[in-house]
Amino acid sequence: MSLRLVQELAGHDDRVWSVAWRPGGGPSVLASCSGDKTVRIWEHSPGASPSSATWVCKAVLDSAHTRTVRQCEWCPAGKLLATASFDSTLGMYEKIGTEISFIASFEGHENEVKSVAWNSSGSLLASCSRDKSVWIWEVLPGHEFECVSVLNGHSQDVKMVTWHPSRDILVSASYDNSIKVWAEDVDGDDWRCVQTLAAPGRGHTSTVWGISFNATGDRMVSCSDDLTLMVWDTSADCVSTSADGVAPWKHLTTISGYHDRTIFSVHWSRVNGLIASGAGDDCIRVFDELRDNVSTLPGEGLSYEMVLKQEKAHSTDVNCVRWHPKEPRLLASAGDDGVVKIWELVGGDLPLLSNESLPYDPRG
Amino acid sequence: MSANFSVKVGRHNDFISPSQACVVSLNSLKKSSPQAFDDDGLVQIQSKKLLNPDFNQASALSKSDPVKVSLHDCLACSGCITSAETVLIEQQSTGEFLSQLDTGKKAVVVSLSPQSRASLAAYYGVTPLQAFKKFTGFMKSIGVRAVFDTSCSRDLSLIESCKEFVTRFRDNKNLPILASACPGWVCYAEKTHGADILPHISAVKSPQQAMGAIVKRYACSSLGLQPEDIYHVTVMPCYDKKLEASREDFVFSGEVNEETDGPQMTEVDCVLTTTEVLDLLATKSADFTALEEAPLDRLLANVDESEQLFGVQGGSGGYAECIFRYAASVLFGKEVTGPLKFKVLRNSDFQETSLEIGGKPVLQFACVYGFRNIQNLVRRIKSGKCEYHYVEIMACPSGCLNGGGQIKPRKGQSAKDLIQLIEVTYANDIEIRDPFSNKITQGLYDQWLGHPGSAKACEIMQTQYHSREKTVGSYISDW
Repeated sequence: MSLRLVQELAGHDDRVWSVAWRPGGGPSVLASCSGDKTVRIWEHSPGASPSSATWVCKAVLDSAHTRTVRQCEWCPAGKLLATASFDSTLGMYEKIGTEISFIASFEGHENEVKSVAWNSSGSLLASCSRDKSVWIWEVLPGHEFECVSVLNGHSQDVKMVTWHPSRDILVSASYDNSIKVWAEDVDGDDWRCVQTLAAPGRGHTSTVWGISFNATGDRMVSCSDDLTLMVWDTSADCVSTSADGVAPWKHLTTISGYHDRTIFSVHWSRVNGLIASGAGDDCIRVFDELRDNVSTLPGEGLSYEMVLKQEKAHSTDVNCVRWHPKEPRLLASAGDDGVVKIWELVGGDLPLLSNESLPYDPRG
Repeated sequence: MSANFSVKVGRHNDFISPSQACVVSLNSLKKSSPQAFDDDGLVQIQSKKLLNPDFNQASALSKSDPVKVSLHDCLACSGCITSAETVLIEQQSTGEFLSQLDTGKKAVVVSLSPQSRASLAAYYGVTPLQAFKKFTGFMKSIGVRAVFDTSCSRDLSLIESCKEFVTRFRDNKNLPILASACPGWVCYAEKTHGADILPHISAVKSPQQAMGAIVKRYACSSLGLQPEDIYHVTVMPCYDKKLEASREDFVFSGEVNEETDGPQMTEVDCVLTTTEVLDLLATKSADFTALEEAPLDRLLANVDESEQLFGVQGGSGGYAECIFRYAASVLFGKEVTGPLKFKVLRNSDFQETSLEIGGKPVLQFACVYGFRNIQNLVRRIKSGKCEYHYVEIMACPSGCLNGGGQIKPRKGQSAKDLIQLIEVTYANDIEIRDPFSNKITQGLYDQWLGHPGSAKACEIMQTQYHSREKTVGSYISDW
């Protein structure tokens, strides 16, 4: 397998931090955000072959933020785009037809917001910040957003938040080397940390930069400054954690020996089941589960092999990798070199997952 | 809010947490690449993201002067907890308290909050009255001159708050009024929301500072003492009360004579948390349950001749409830009897109540506890969508009974079980009485302050708030 560069999307004036594919129908749309304080909306030519180099920049969104936009995320229905910025605010844009307009900004974090994520139904939004806190917001009618919970637990900068693909379980990754899992109390009054995936048990030994679930949500992969990827079994019901603090989510395997610089981004394709990583060595790598292992116990003897390594994917650090939500061979990446790249996976038999397992909003 | 470290290490995760942005620019931390400073000045050897202009801007502002952090700086900041902690440990600690007793230079007076009293009572399985008497016995045994009760000064705060509310309501000025008793909230509002919110905060002093004013500016003469001869200690459910006591707004001048200005004095010299009382008991090898139940100092304590404790309803001071009843009566001629019915909104820490006349709400009050709810309230006020006339705001979820300085749950006891126990204990054996009928506060007005809301009462019982500017400290790290 290899990656073929479909198109290089230039336009940002500073490093590109993150990209987000818009879920839903119509032509493929990708949002990218940057140190230049803007979000760019890129659209693929309707009707063209998925791998054709027909991407154009449709919009530059610059109304929301006065500093770096660190991450942007589409809601599951593809109508709202949330942004997280170093100016300590979250921004919200709405896409109506071909127009995208800025509709709201919300304050609360003390300083740099690092990440933002929608839950599977689009009713909740999570954010995290250098202020060490994780916030959960509820999306109300009329462009109103209310704070549902402010979660303190991490002892350092929180780098990323992401939701389970079907359940309202939130996961956060931090500079304190831990991954924390948050769920609502049984009485529904507040949220709390239900488990922490960290040393001295199995866990990363340096900053955790990224986390991503597989399509069904029974596994999660994390990437770290400790140069490893870790795969976790997330099938257990983690809301009913026992008081002894034993994490019901189990470490399955560590993918080590492949990266020699910080891994900034990891993404588990919900279509082809492959894991992509983006790292400080400018490379994109793709991993697949070794399937010739015959084991009766789930997770036992599980291992992953690297199926490709794209050298010099960007001229400097790769900050973000994201698989297309529907096209099994498309991957987008963002780098410190200020460009977004669209890649096509060439060769190899893709283990296509059934569409039923996709958690995307059918309304899209 | 910088000093709530006890809550942070505890189980509660919803309060105004420390952040990294210290207002004091930590100049000595600034270095050139290739080292990047992540949070708290930890060095991460990695060259990534050093090119960011914000980082360079911060570096350019650095100087080589040594960093000095004063308590006043910490008040303006929720930056680092460590410097605030150090300063507070030096100035307001059990050690400092004991050394004051040892030197014997000043008369040591202790004022116990009813929330701390409930925490002690729940912890030791005694009634609030027993806890108060044992606490008094212990304090007297180590040399404390008098032990008072801040429920008493709280009645004064409540009366002044009632007066303030009615005045502002009639003037329709800066509504809603937001309670000022929680220093965590006040500190946060000063630092984060400044001019948008500060005019809304009640000018009335908290029960702690009201007690400070009473003790040092009035009651000292009853004790045969000059204010500068008193070392006044309060026992509070909250670490941030230490910061409150240290505010420059609560420094006053003693007697001025022809040659000199009066000595500068603080209303409260030292704040100990309930947890620190446990430390004190341990230091003195005292078994609380076995302590003698000493007679109470009724000079400034809500206890009558038959040893009946009395006070207002509400674990966080009963501000909303007390002011609501007063306003309903004075403004609308409605006597509200029986318990007030609060409607729970998003969660149990966001409740509201209203008075309706002819189907229209004429008074709308709320109790808003915990950071998440404060966020939503503040956003509503800023966007002009807040309908409330008065909001009792407390930074801690469940309010002051769950303060960061309260005794932690015993092993096997859940935080929720403990707070429920303290809530029951708090109300146990306390007779609910209208602050206006309190003979002690009546005496204070008659002999000292004039009448509720008088110019003198406002001068002594009110304070002010200050916007605190953020500095470059918040821009050190950028990735």
